[in-house]
Amino acid sequence: MIAIETVNLCAYYGQKKVINNVNLKIPKNVVFAIMGPSGCGKSTLLRSFNRLLELNPNARVEGDVKLYGKSVYDMSPIEVRRKIGMVFQHPNPFPHMSIFDNVALGLKLNGLVKSKKELHKTVKWALRKAALWDEVKDRIHEPASALSGGQQQRLCIARTLAVKPEVLLMDEPTASLDPVAMEKIEDLINKLREEYTIVIVTHSSAQAARVSDYVAFLYLGELVEVGKTEKVFEKPKSELTKRYLMGRVG
Amino acid sequence: MQKVDTFRISLLPFCILIFSIFALMIVTYLAVSVPIFQKEGPQIYTTNIWKAAENNPDEEFYGVLAAIYGSVYTSVLAVLIALPLSIGFAVFVIDYAPQKIKEPLIVTTDIMAGLPTIIYGIWGAFVLVPMLRDYVMYPLHKHLGFIPLFSFEPAGGYSFLAAGVLLGVMVTPFASSIIREAYRMVPFTYREAAFSLGATRYEATKILLSYIKPAIIAGILLAFGRAIGETVAVSLVVGNAFNIHPSLFAPGYTISSLIANQFGNAFIYGYMVSALFAAGFFLFIIGLAVNIGSLIILKRWYSHAQRF
Repeated sequence: MIAIETVNLCAYYGQKKVINNVNLKIPKNVVFAIMGPSGCGKSTLLRSFNRLLELNPNARVEGDVKLYGKSVYDMSPIEVRRKIGMVFQHPNPFPHMSIFDNVALGLKLNGLVKSKKELHKTVKWALRKAALWDEVKDRIHEPASALSGGQQQRLCIARTLAVKPEVLLMDEPTASLDPVAMEKIEDLINKLREEYTIVIVTHSSAQAARVSDYVAFLYLGELVEVGKTEKVFEKPKSELTKRYLMGRVG
Repeated sequence: MQKVDTFRISLLPFCILIFSIFALMIVTYLAVSVPIFQKEGPQIYTTNIWKAAENNPDEEFYGVLAAIYGSVYTSVLAVLIALPLSIGFAVFVIDYAPQKIKEPLIVTTDIMAGLPTIIYGIWGAFVLVPMLRDYVMYPLHKHLGFIPLFSFEPAGGYSFLAAGVLLGVMVTPFASSIIREAYRMVPFTYREAAFSLGATRYEATKILLSYIKPAIIAGILLAFGRAIGETVAVSLVVGNAFNIHPSLFAPGYTISSLIANQFGNAFIYGYMVSALFAAGFFLFIIGLAVNIGSLIILKRWYSHAQRF
């Protein structure tokens, strides 16, 4: 089953084309990595999936993105973003809110819980799911800014999971973290893969190799190669992919 | 031997001059206030009496409580009016105004904030006061006069309300520019975070405003400081009466309008100059506290926001 499908997807910033005719099929319940050098359009591509690109008034999208066969442009952006959660490059929990409130925010916004009890239960569930509960259970009412970078990123994952999305987008989720925190996030991705479709953007081919089932290689806004991760890494079809994996481009 | 930088040294006197003028001013305020403090003690601030006796200074008694009350009352009204206006305007300019009119809007409000206040004063006295009197005060007094806020019969229209509304209009551009700059500085990633959780534009704006809350508080405090110090425009519309009345429609005094109205003939009396200086000193303390407080809040917030 295909979770996300892009059809002749192009994206522009003003006159500049940054995504050129990308056709991707992302199966359900896999970790799908989009790798490529910085500036190749990975983040833009990811933001076209949940229509977050629309926050930028200069951005424009052509073609289509389908979530389980239904165009995201036929849904309201709010519904799309609830179904397709997102974690960002810099951990961005709201620093003025408590740990609890950060996770509760999406639930309250979307009216997903009926009682205070249910709210507490869901927040706890999400923090557990993000492997953060044990570290913060005694201080969930402290401000989120008191957490370390890695904990903040897991808090962001919890905040996203709380809304019960179907797809999880991760935009270089470990790029600003130290190696230990990075490993924890990658472990978490491994655990979440059974229940969620995860699309992770990374500029590190090593990370793509470690965490993903499928990988797509994006270069200058064009899809160069896509396939099962081990196949792409062992026998890349394209010369460009080969050179990228050997560290000659990017 | 190191060469003496004569240019740098030649600049020093200017710096010293400015600060010594300021220091001397504070000293003057204290020194001139001393006689009234010696005569009345704290009663200068806690009573509402204005008794000027031309021939016998011992019979003079001054208490500026009504003016303090009026200053605080009108400034609080101003802030209550300016708060929603300035937040709404800041959000509109940053989030919604088309690129073409964004800069003109900002420049216009900056001009509004810098206009000579007498311009607001005349408009207030000749347009705002009659309008408020006929369309706001009389109807409210007639139908809801039993509520203390509306209980005073609005004879001329010169009142706390008129001063509060006028001050609100005057400080809105100022408060708005502080809130606008803070709102503009909100890191884009928080905007993305809010929307990625399925927030509507209204909900996202609320989340982001809660993030800049310290800056909003500081902006409002600074606006309060401006409002409480404003003189000319207020004295044209506040009514200038020693009056401590809960009603919005009652005339009153403010510290600055009291000084502006009384200083011309104050020298005739033994203690009035001293009393006016003591009133001014009070205003100085409020201004100092409000400004220092809000600058600390702002600085702390900016240093936090800039970590991104």
